[in-house]
Amino acid sequence: MNLPRPSVVTLTSALCLLTSAFGLPLYRHSLPNGLIILTYEEHRLPTATVSLVCRSGAACDPKDKSGTAAMMSDLLTRGTATMSGDSIKSLVEFLGALFSGGAGDDNCAIDVRVLTKDLGTALDLMADAVLHPAFNAKEMELARSRMTTDARGLFDDPGSEVSYEFTKLLYGDHPYGRLSGGDTLSLPLIKREDLVAFHNTHFRPNNCFVVAAGDISHKEFVTEIERRLGTWTPEPVPALTVAPLTMPDRIRVKVITRSDMNQTYVEFGHPGIRAGDEDMLATRLMSYVLGGGAMSSRLGTSVREKGGLAYDVRCWFNRNRLQGGFHATVQTAGPKEAIGLMLRDIKLMYDSGATRKELEKAHNYFTGSFPLTYASTGGKLSQVRTMELYGYGLDWLEEFPDKVRAVSLDEVNRAARDHLRPGKYWMVVLGPVTREELGLTDVEWIN
Amino acid sequence: MRTSSFGIARSVLRWSLLATLAVFAVASASDIESKVFEYDLANGLHIIVYVDSSAPVATTSVWYKVGSYDEPLGSTGLSHMLEHMTFKHTSFYKPGQLDVIIDSAGGNNNGFTSTYFTAYYEDFASDRYELAMKIEAARMGTCVFPDSEFESEHQVVSEERRLRENYPAGELWELFGTTAQLVNPERNPTIGWSDDVRHFTVAAVRDWYKRHYNPANAVLVVCGDVHPDDVKAKADKHFGRFKGTPVARRDFYSVEPKQNGERRLTIRKRVRVPSLLIGYQVPGIRDSSWYAGEVAGAIIGGGETSRLHKKLVKELGLATSVWGGAGVSRDPSLFQVGVTPKAESLIPRIEQVVQTELDRAGTELATEREMQQVRNEVLAGQAFRRDNMFGITYWLASSHILFGTWRQVTEYSERINRVTAEQVRDYCAAWLKPDNRTTGILVSAKEAK
Repeated sequence: MNLPRPSVVTLTSALCLLTSAFGLPLYRHSLPNGLIILTYEEHRLPTATVSLVCRSGAACDPKDKSGTAAMMSDLLTRGTATMSGDSIKSLVEFLGALFSGGAGDDNCAIDVRVLTKDLGTALDLMADAVLHPAFNAKEMELARSRMTTDARGLFDDPGSEVSYEFTKLLYGDHPYGRLSGGDTLSLPLIKREDLVAFHNTHFRPNNCFVVAAGDISHKEFVTEIERRLGTWTPEPVPALTVAPLTMPDRIRVKVITRSDMNQTYVEFGHPGIRAGDEDMLATRLMSYVLGGGAMSSRLGTSVREKGGLAYDVRCWFNRNRLQGGFHATVQTAGPKEAIGLMLRDIKLMYDSGATRKELEKAHNYFTGSFPLTYASTGGKLSQVRTMELYGYGLDWLEEFPDKVRAVSLDEVNRAARDHLRPGKYWMVVLGPVTREELGLTDVEWIN
Repeated sequence: MRTSSFGIARSVLRWSLLATLAVFAVASASDIESKVFEYDLANGLHIIVYVDSSAPVATTSVWYKVGSYDEPLGSTGLSHMLEHMTFKHTSFYKPGQLDVIIDSAGGNNNGFTSTYFTAYYEDFASDRYELAMKIEAARMGTCVFPDSEFESEHQVVSEERRLRENYPAGELWELFGTTAQLVNPERNPTIGWSDDVRHFTVAAVRDWYKRHYNPANAVLVVCGDVHPDDVKAKADKHFGRFKGTPVARRDFYSVEPKQNGERRLTIRKRVRVPSLLIGYQVPGIRDSSWYAGEVAGAIIGGGETSRLHKKLVKELGLATSVWGGAGVSRDPSLFQVGVTPKAESLIPRIEQVVQTELDRAGTELATEREMQQVRNEVLAGQAFRRDNMFGITYWLASSHILFGTWRQVTEYSERINRVTAEQVRDYCAAWLKPDNRTTGILVSAKEAK
């Protein structure tokens, strides 16, 4: 994994930074052990939200043990050397607080939401969880049971199932091709030593950051975190390197026929770009015009508004650290017609690009709606977390509107040419339909 | 809901309202009182303003007192169909224009339908919230429904209905509701039954709009960085021109026949994870014992320290998750327990354990720690709920419509604090008993014999 900072931090106070984004009560501070602390102060409610984020996620799971990062993160909040899982849950729920752990592909986190008066207690729990996790055997079996149920239940929802099948095709042996929550084959293989190893390797201060938003004071918060986590020891963290995905050379379609359904679920797409790619913003604007909403995008207009073929149709480039993908989805009783329109619209965007008017609308939407995304305390935490995770820089929140407006029509249309690949898709079709009924030609059918 | 940005579960599922209101809570009544302003226009439009200037944003919403509760048999889902059609054609926006207008102004918008109301909202930077007023005024008084625009939207709604039909857990929810409640319209899914949806006509949509969309049957709620007087002036400017006609809402408080024995429902579908739902007929919000039901729900099934979680998940290892609690309903409704069993074969044993725990709650007093935990959760939940403008909007509007006053948001915690352990015990003894129970299970079609 390519980390955006040294994997070992020299223990000198010279590396301590205190930075404030101009105009916003947003601060970033680095402890000598490499732990970064970000705060966004807002005192309108007596609440605080805090996340301790580790920059390694499920992509770092052992190959045959997907679910390791997720199980490890969950268990961090379910028992330490001095407190049982039951004692922790009892305390947290008595306070009316939230305290949980989880993992995505690119990171793991412990999340806290608490009344300000209880923040000290919550930070004690969080620090204890990170420094002294117990990985208790009984709690581990309970977690395994929960996660196995979730993995099995995925197939009881056609939307989840089609997404899972598409992700497997898109990513293949790439770590993103595995379920971050594990599957019924991998979960039984995970042992306590796997959790301990993941924790020891990746939960290091030089590979983590703490982000807090709400009724806090930056200075006091830094002091409180340093008091609890200042002695946490940094260690080198191995980088994760993965070969880039291969573009399919044509449309490759997997059909899962389900005669007991009355609607077909479709997902298709191809490899995309990584979150930090310099083309990402232009690509996002382009995909917004193409399929960013169920109604006013090109796909929404043709498939839903004019065609009446679906309640929801959309496309997007997802943002992952290593490599994302281009996704297009629809749920419809008319899969032949809907897929045909979607393939046509994507090809048209590739060939002719967006119009100036469409880009203007996209500019307005991105810049106008952006402040809405961080109006709440939870939104602030989420945006600052994204900012730090993908290295966007402390001024991102304020500069984002200008950066959006700076994206030209040429850049958007170049993004369409560079990052859309019409006719080269992985596609999964799940529903009461056969290959013949889809009317697709020049495709390769796969099982 | 017209778009799926919040997921199907929140779009039309009547149960979502229950979950939302179940976390009502208040930290400081005076704090909220000082931020809320209330007005009535001459035409009957009620206005609630919540001032929060911490960010330059505002959520503007209009809530109509019409939902699936009001729909006659054969026309279930009509409120939701109408909700879709109101995005099409008015004096201000024409087909395809509304989303362009909103996107161009950098806003978000949506609509959603529930059992008791249909609502629309726009999130904008606060310097352009008047645009939301213009949009909502156009929706309230100037919608037209040309035949030519009906068919494609009718198909869109049919596709939305199918999403539910291909999701086995959704089928369990729908059929469980109709098994537990035989008459009250709360039993009907907000999106409507499949055959009703198929037979919608544009004439019925026009009629439903004419009957229910007017200022005297609506509430305007604006939350955010706004001035109350400015809201009132702008509301008068945009909504004042419409005539208000109060709409009488039929009351189904007493329609449900008394339950005199357990009812059971089994659904066999292609599922890998079974589900168990248990419901008991209980009083609604117009009965003072409803608050004791709220406390009972939190203690019995409100989290990982709840009695059922401790017993079923941690102690006996029969299930991977469990929840429970009473709903927020104007009429007598259901106290529900939902369980994800580890295996289908464990369901009979789980049913026994659940009833044993509920029987115990009907004979033994809750501990003071349990009671205090509920009070603490209510206090914290109130603060968290005010974190975003849509959250506070939903809270104020639904309180006004269901309880008759937005002040329910402050009264709720006071009422919860007054509930005694004896009242919780008596509530459980009176209602959570086998003869008052409906049990629904979803199991694998392949394995079930």
